[in-house]
Amino acid sequence: MTHPLEQLRDDALCEIESAPDEQALETARVKYLGKSGSISSWSEQMRTLGKDEKPIVGKLLNEVRNAVTAALESRAANFRSQMESEGLARIDISLPGTPHEIGALHPLTQMWERSIEIFRRMGFALADGPDIEDEWHCFDALNTPPEHPARNEQDTFYLPDGRLLRTHTSTVQIRTMQAAPPPIRVIAPGAAYRRDELDATHSPQFHQIEGLYVDENVSVADLKGALEFFMRELFGTGTEVQFRPHYFPFTEPSLEIYVKSKALKGGERWIEVAGSGIVHPAVFEAVNKARGDDAYDPKKWTGYAFGLGMDRLAMILFDIPDIRLFAQNDLRFLRQFA
Amino acid sequence: MKFSVNWLHEFVDLPKNPEEIAKLLTRAGVETENIETRGAKIDKVIVSQITASSRHPNADRLTVCEVDDGSGTKRQIVCGATNYKAGDKIPLALPGAKLDNGIEIRKTNLRGVESEGMLCSPIELGLGEDASGLLILSAEAKIGAPLSDLFPGDTILDVEITPNRGDLLSHFGLTREIAALTGKKLKSTPREAKTDIKKSGLTISATRECPFFSARKIENVNVGPSPQWLRAKIESVGIRSINNIVDISNFVMLELGQPTHAFDADKLKGGINVRLARQDEEFLALDGKTYSLAPDNCVVADQERAVGIGGVMGGEETGVTNSTKNILLEAAYFLPASIRRTARNLNLPTDASYRFERGVDPEMVLRASQRATELIREIAGGTPATEINVAGKLPTNPADVSLSYEKCDRVVGISIKRRTVDEILEGFGLKQTKSERMRKNESSKWKIPSYRRDLQRDVDLIEEVVRAYGADKIPGTDRSRFTPASIADHAHDLESAWRQRLAAAGLDEVRTSKLLPRERFAFSKSAIELRNPLSEDHVALRPSILVGLLGVLDRNIRAGAERVAIFEIGRTFIRPSGKEERHLGILLWGNAASAPNWRSPQSRSLDLFDLKGALKCVVPNLSFRPGKFPDLALPVDVFSGDQMIGFGGQLSAAKFNAPGPVFVAEAHADLLLIAEETATKFHEIEKFPGATRDIAMIVPEEIPHETILHSIEEPREPLLESVELFDLFSGREIGAARKSLAYRLTYRDRSRTLTSEEVNAAHAKIRERLRRDLGAELRE
Repeated sequence: MTHPLEQLRDDALCEIESAPDEQALETARVKYLGKSGSISSWSEQMRTLGKDEKPIVGKLLNEVRNAVTAALESRAANFRSQMESEGLARIDISLPGTPHEIGALHPLTQMWERSIEIFRRMGFALADGPDIEDEWHCFDALNTPPEHPARNEQDTFYLPDGRLLRTHTSTVQIRTMQAAPPPIRVIAPGAAYRRDELDATHSPQFHQIEGLYVDENVSVADLKGALEFFMRELFGTGTEVQFRPHYFPFTEPSLEIYVKSKALKGGERWIEVAGSGIVHPAVFEAVNKARGDDAYDPKKWTGYAFGLGMDRLAMILFDIPDIRLFAQNDLRFLRQFA
Repeated sequence: MKFSVNWLHEFVDLPKNPEEIAKLLTRAGVETENIETRGAKIDKVIVSQITASSRHPNADRLTVCEVDDGSGTKRQIVCGATNYKAGDKIPLALPGAKLDNGIEIRKTNLRGVESEGMLCSPIELGLGEDASGLLILSAEAKIGAPLSDLFPGDTILDVEITPNRGDLLSHFGLTREIAALTGKKLKSTPREAKTDIKKSGLTISATRECPFFSARKIENVNVGPSPQWLRAKIESVGIRSINNIVDISNFVMLELGQPTHAFDADKLKGGINVRLARQDEEFLALDGKTYSLAPDNCVVADQERAVGIGGVMGGEETGVTNSTKNILLEAAYFLPASIRRTARNLNLPTDASYRFERGVDPEMVLRASQRATELIREIAGGTPATEINVAGKLPTNPADVSLSYEKCDRVVGISIKRRTVDEILEGFGLKQTKSERMRKNESSKWKIPSYRRDLQRDVDLIEEVVRAYGADKIPGTDRSRFTPASIADHAHDLESAWRQRLAAAGLDEVRTSKLLPRERFAFSKSAIELRNPLSEDHVALRPSILVGLLGVLDRNIRAGAERVAIFEIGRTFIRPSGKEERHLGILLWGNAASAPNWRSPQSRSLDLFDLKGALKCVVPNLSFRPGKFPDLALPVDVFSGDQMIGFGGQLSAAKFNAPGPVFVAEAHADLLLIAEETATKFHEIEKFPGATRDIAMIVPEEIPHETILHSIEEPREPLLESVELFDLFSGREIGAARKSLAYRLTYRDRSRTLTSEEVNAAHAKIRERLRRDLGAELRE
């Protein structure tokens, strides 16, 4: 048999549940929990109950009161959150977010940062050298004596005092070795200059990363491993890398590096991206002579060196058709790389 | 250099597909840049003979030719060329032929006269560069025969020969390389010269520049046009046909790599002497130009004057002409360095100098002379002297080179079988000199062929091994190493952080040229100029970044930008030494927001305080002080603490014509990089609440914020933690020449909670100071 209190509870819960609005809910609250509400009047009647009945009904009454209170609160919370949502629903969420001015880094900077980050993971430190150089660092020390067919003064900018603008960052190889004995493991990002007419693929000022690793038993295989890793990190794991024998005065053997990747425009074509090789012993000999010691004994040490064209790599990676865009700094260009 | 595959094929069996030859060479470091197929486009072109010609009735520049095409009936062709005569045999493109330049031949009517085809010039048939007139075929050509009988199809390879490989600058040289790479045998090699040698009739004074000289007299030659095969051959690789003698000289150079030169012997006065030029000696060269020589130029001279710049170019006066009867054929060896200097100083690079400066094969000098002599006899009918006059000595053979197999493996990074190494080197013409001692030392000694003077050290031999073995067969290895950070690393990291911060502050990074154009010398009157600029756009090294930034501003204003907020960090070059300083440049112009936006509809312009705010992102303890700079309307000196690190301000409108003010700053970044990098140390977060009090005041306009701040902060109230300016205005309501400022002061004690009374007492002192020192009118 159902106790009348239980019946009362079920009625109350039912009424609360079906209250259509806050006003109806308030009516229900007054009806059950108000001063003269049904539950309150049961409390009044408690006094009239017998000793045996009192604790049972008291417990039941408590439960009923709690259940009804909880139901009222939950229903009220529902109404409140419903109202809040209805108010907010009028907001047009398709409006644009508050704009913040965030500048773009130049694509060449981005190229440099990406490259440096990869080489640092491979344990290269940075090195530096001046843009204004002397002939010895730019040519002679790099096994390109006067009258060497590869020493092209025609393509070199000279200053009135006979110094020149470095034609490659390889000068930093020499400066680094002059400054410290082996082992050496450095990269040197920087500008280089060539007396070229400005066109879509040539610029009198361009940018490189030079690399040099001198240690015991450094080999062509080590060079390949390092640059294959670099190219795949840069252009994606699916990148094919090819090393083709070439000629540079300051490396022997010398290798040009080509990449091919479906991810790049022009897909199935090999693209030349870098020059590299095993440091020529004559370079070590020139460094030793300048140092006045035998720190770079070609019998004990070997090394690999490489030079990457940053402008070219950026043009390939970002699909930029014209090298002149880099120095023009049109904001419509720069902002594409924000 | 261009190579004809047909020509190469005379010396060695080649892979069928030219692509394969290209791949083979490229993988061995002889890069084939282009492959061009010739001769395929001369279908429906036949040999014809002009039987008569007459003026076109309606056009002065045209003629009407009657042509025999071998069919029995004559054709009528209208023609614009003038270099022919009746009886000449000319290629005739029949209607339906498609020429190299894309033109399709049809029967047409040219100014009222019917033309049944077209007579062709070499360039129209893809048979050379000559566009000046019709291609005159040899008299033996069979009328009506397809032209492809005369010009069989060929493939031309354009190959990049690196400067160390002068031995590849000939068809024979390249086939020798192909043979080595494919293991095929050469079909023929140039024969040893078997002529008697006579050490007389010549002298060499410049023995260093010209170690060896030979001359052979050939009498009674008939100078005239070359036979078709000879012309076709040299023209196929881009050399213009001149006459049979000159063509033969060029042919031998292309075939064997040794330049030769023919003099008109009757124009030489006395015996040949090879000497250094006299200072300012004038020389009229074959190109028709007069060169002023210097004593480091080696000349071939007769007893009166120079008749050739040795190894570079012959003289006009003694050149072979159609009236030449007797010739003197020169074949010599010149010092590469000397040739290079001369060709460079005279700005006269020639096919001959190109080869001499890379070093010709001493053993080929007399062979080439012999080959040219034979050809001249065959083609021009000359009678060569039985003896060849020589002077000097050919360079000795290159020194032997030792190779340790262990070193080879060490440099390559993998172990390669000794036999493989030996076979590779033998393939390239090296010969092992037997030595028991060497073998015990695990090394070998190699005799270097005369044409491979680039092989001087063991690493040169190792490169040959890599080239032939295949670089792609060497697996890459992972060899990393711990490396401590360098000074350059720290500098780079700080610079990167600056870039990030300035970009986060809304500035775009630019990179402008370090080479300045002539016209833009604002801020750069003291730029270091280049000695040899190439164009007016790049004449000097920038001493300041601002010049470049102004160029960027100009470009972007013209492109319609409404906001230009840019920075650059890079090297500048300071006179007089060209000291390289890393500078930071900032430029602001236009609207504060790049586009109007719905959150803050009121737009404002960028101003000096935006400039200061941007600098504050990277400069610690930044302050501006009044500065002096003529190009700035409002100049400020930029300080970091007590150190002046740069300048900036508002650009004078006279200096740069932009709509609205332009703000610039340039700082010497290196001064900020020196600060030793130390890790920031934690200090305890305040446990006790602070109390804030505001002060609003009206002061005379000329009192700067800095003075007010100083008055608030000095002498220091121990409880005062910080001061912020939060309001500033001036206007009629507060009176002319006055301004109102409001500051929020925060008081705190790190060890306890302050009482209201303590704060009020401290605050009252400061208020009193402001009133007393500055005459500030404090508002409650």
